[in-house]
Amino acid sequence: MSLARWWRRNSQHVALGSMLAPYLIGLAVLVIGPGLAGFALALTDYNAIQPPAWAGLENFRRLPGDQIFRIAVANSLLYIVLAVPLRLLGALALARLLQRPARRSLIGRAVVYLPTVMPDLAWALIWLWILNPIYGPLNQLLAVAGIDGPSWMVDPTSARLGIVLMMVWQIGEGLLVCLAALGSVDPDLPAQAAVDGGGAWSSFRDVIVPIIAPALLILLFRDTILSFQTNFVPALIVGKGGGPDYATMYLPMYIYTTAFEYLRFGYAASMTVAMYAITGTILLIQYKLTHRWHEGFGRNG
Amino acid sequence: MGSRAIGRAFWTAVVAVVCALFLLPLAWAISTSLRATGAPLPRQMEWWPSPVVWRNYQTVFEIIDAARFALNSVIVVSVAVPVTVIFASLAGFAMSQLPLRYRGRLVAFSALCLMVPLTAIWIPRFLLFKEAGLMNRRGALMVPALMGTSPFFVLLFLWAFLTVPKEVYDAARLDGAGAYRIWAGIGLPQARGAIGTVAVLAFVHYWNSFVEPLLLMRTADKFTASLGLRMLYSLESTNWPIIMAGALLTVIPVVAVFVLAQHAFLRELRSVAPSDRQ
Repeated sequence: MSLARWWRRNSQHVALGSMLAPYLIGLAVLVIGPGLAGFALALTDYNAIQPPAWAGLENFRRLPGDQIFRIAVANSLLYIVLAVPLRLLGALALARLLQRPARRSLIGRAVVYLPTVMPDLAWALIWLWILNPIYGPLNQLLAVAGIDGPSWMVDPTSARLGIVLMMVWQIGEGLLVCLAALGSVDPDLPAQAAVDGGGAWSSFRDVIVPIIAPALLILLFRDTILSFQTNFVPALIVGKGGGPDYATMYLPMYIYTTAFEYLRFGYAASMTVAMYAITGTILLIQYKLTHRWHEGFGRNG
Repeated sequence: MGSRAIGRAFWTAVVAVVCALFLLPLAWAISTSLRATGAPLPRQMEWWPSPVVWRNYQTVFEIIDAARFALNSVIVVSVAVPVTVIFASLAGFAMSQLPLRYRGRLVAFSALCLMVPLTAIWIPRFLLFKEAGLMNRRGALMVPALMGTSPFFVLLFLWAFLTVPKEVYDAARLDGAGAYRIWAGIGLPQARGAIGTVAVLAFVHYWNSFVEPLLLMRTADKFTASLGLRMLYSLESTNWPIIMAGALLTVIPVVAVFVLAQHAFLRELRSVAPSDRQ
C-alpha cells in the first residue's frame, strides 16, 4: 500500500534516474575512474603479467633524469605553441570569411570541414606521402614555384613543422565554434563602430573580438588539452614512432611506447600524471595572459 | 556599386582558393592511387596519371582481407550508432527535465569530461578492459555507446529537447504519461535534427576509430578497416599507389555519409550561425 503510494509519487524521478544512469555510470567507469586510477598506477611497478608492486614515488623520481621524457615534454610544448594559435587563428579567419550569407560560403564550410572527418590513420598516411621529400606532391609543387623544399620527415626541424602543417587542415570544430560565436554578435554593432570612424579591422578587433572572447577561450583551452590526443597518430605514422631523431616524440607517443611496447604501465602512468600537471600549468598561463589581454581591450575601447 | 561587385568577386576568389587548399591533400591522394604500381614514380609534378589504373583498388582486396575488415567495421558501426543515439538521447532528455540547478551541474560535469584526452586514460582503460575479458572482442569497441559515446552528443540532445516549451512536457505529464513515453512520443520527434547530427558524428567516430582497436584487437579476424589499413601499410610500405588506394577505401564511407548528410549538415551549420538571417 505505502509502496504503491511511494511509487506513484516518485516514479517520475526513478524513470529520469534510470535514463541518466547509463551515461553517469559510463562516465564514472570509462572516464573518471581511469583518470583517477592513473594516479594510483603511477605509484606502482606493473607489467600487466605479474601483480603490481608498490613503488612509492620512485617513478616520479626517475622522470627528470629520463632524457627522452624531457625531449617529449619540450616537443609537446613546442607543438602547443605552434599548432594551437595557428589552428585558432585559422578557424577564426575562415569563420570570418565564410560568415557571409551565401550558398558559396555554405559550400566553403563543408569543404573546410571535410579534412576533419577523415579517419586519423588515412589522413596520416596521406600526409606521409605528401611530405615525401623526393616523390611527394608538396615538394614537387614547391619545385614548380622554384623552391627547393625541405626534406620534411628526414630532418628534425622540418619534421616538427610537417606535423603542425597536417594538423592545420583539421580545424572544422574550431570553424563551427567561431561561426556560432560570430553569429551571436549583433550585426549593427560593428556598423556602429564603423560610423564612429574605425576601419573594418579596428571594428573587428575592438568590437567583435571582445564579444566572442569567451568562445575563443574555450576553444583555446580545449585545443590545448586535446593536442595531447590529436598528435599521437601523426607521431606514430608520419613520425614513424616519434622520429626522426625524437623530433616528433610527443608525450602521448612516449607514454604509448613505454606502456604498450615496453609494458612499463606504472612508469607510463607517472608520465600521464606529469601530463596533467603540465596541461594545468599551461591552462593557467593561458588564462592569465588572455585575462590581461581581455582587460586591456576593455580599457582601450 | 562597382566597388561592391569587385568586393564580391574578390571574396568569391578567396573562397575558391581556400576550397582548393582544403581539397588538395585528398586530390593528391586520389591521383596517386590511380598510378601504375610497377613504374618508377615521377620526379616532377604530375596532376593526373597516365594511364589511369583503377585496378589498384582491387589489388588492395587481394593483398589484405579488406572485405572482412570492412565487415568488422560495419558490425561495430551498425550496433554502436543506434545504441549511441538511444542512450545519448535518454541522458539528454533526463537532463532537460531536471531542475535548473541539477541540470547546470550535469552540464558542467559533462563539459569537464569532454576535456579529458583519450591519451590520458588509455592505460587504466586498457587494463580495465583486459581484466573484464574484453580483449580481442568487437564488443569492447562498442561499449562506450552505452554511455552515449561522448558527453558532447548528450549535450546536443539536451539543447534540442530544451527547445520544446516546458508546458508541452508538463501537459503530457498531467495526462499521466511516464518519462519514457514523453521521451519517445514528444521529445524524439522534436529532436530529429539532433538525431541526424549525432548519428552522423557517431558514425564518423566509430568508423574512424584507430587507437582503440589498435590497443584492444589482437587477431586479424577481429581487425577493423583502420587496422586493415595499418596492415596494408606494413606489408607495402613504399607502394604508394596501393597505400593511397587503401587509405581512400577507408575514407569513402565517411565522405559518403558526410555528403549524403550534407544538406542536413549545412542546415546545422546555418543554425549555429544566425548571422545568415541578414
